[in-house]
Amino acid sequence: MTAAVTLAALGNGPAFSAYASTNQTISASTNTKIVFGTEEFDTNSNFVSSTFTPTVAGYYQVNIGAGPYGSGEPSRQSLLCFKNGSTYKRLQDVATPTSSAFINAFSGSCLVYCNGSTDYIEAYIFISVKSGTPVIDSSSGYTFFQAALIRGA
Amino acid sequence: MTLYDKIMALYPALTQQDFLTTIRLQNDSDGRGDYIAKWEHPTLARPTEEQLA
Repeated sequence: MTAAVTLAALGNGPAFSAYASTNQTISASTNTKIVFGTEEFDTNSNFVSSTFTPTVAGYYQVNIGAGPYGSGEPSRQSLLCFKNGSTYKRLQDVATPTSSAFINAFSGSCLVYCNGSTDYIEAYIFISVKSGTPVIDSSSGYTFFQAALIRGA
Repeated sequence: MTLYDKIMALYPALTQQDFLTTIRLQNDSDGRGDYIAKWEHPTLARPTEEQLA
């Protein structure tokens, strides 16, 4: 009975999935918040302005993906999970000193505890370039942000 | 010209590594643009608003 109750509670926990609906030009060598303009689902309406602020305390599986491209050559690409305004996990950090290509499919995941009231999660990206301007692709398959409660507090 | 470009014009000796360690630029995509979130460079002073204007 206890297990069934727990599963029922988790089944109703917050979950969302969103993706970038417009291309986002970013400044090189600058931690930039990724904008996710389209929601695929948002069960508790906890995803607002590309920020996830869950209203249920617990442990959340977070998945972030980005599709950088652009003119010129990248020298480093990092994908960051921010919690409460600062870096919580560096999901990817790739130096590409000998490549002229952006890594277009760039993703990672982590577990984040949220207190159900003030804690919030955002997705940031950092790209340094030898030349050119990086752009984040608007595509549900490349640039996405998802989270779901997987364990209660 | 981006904030990064302005800083590099002021301090050409800075390297990409500096922007991963002692200097952090940030943009929260809230319309306020790029800003200096951290400046802990051991020898170079944080640029003033006038220098970055």
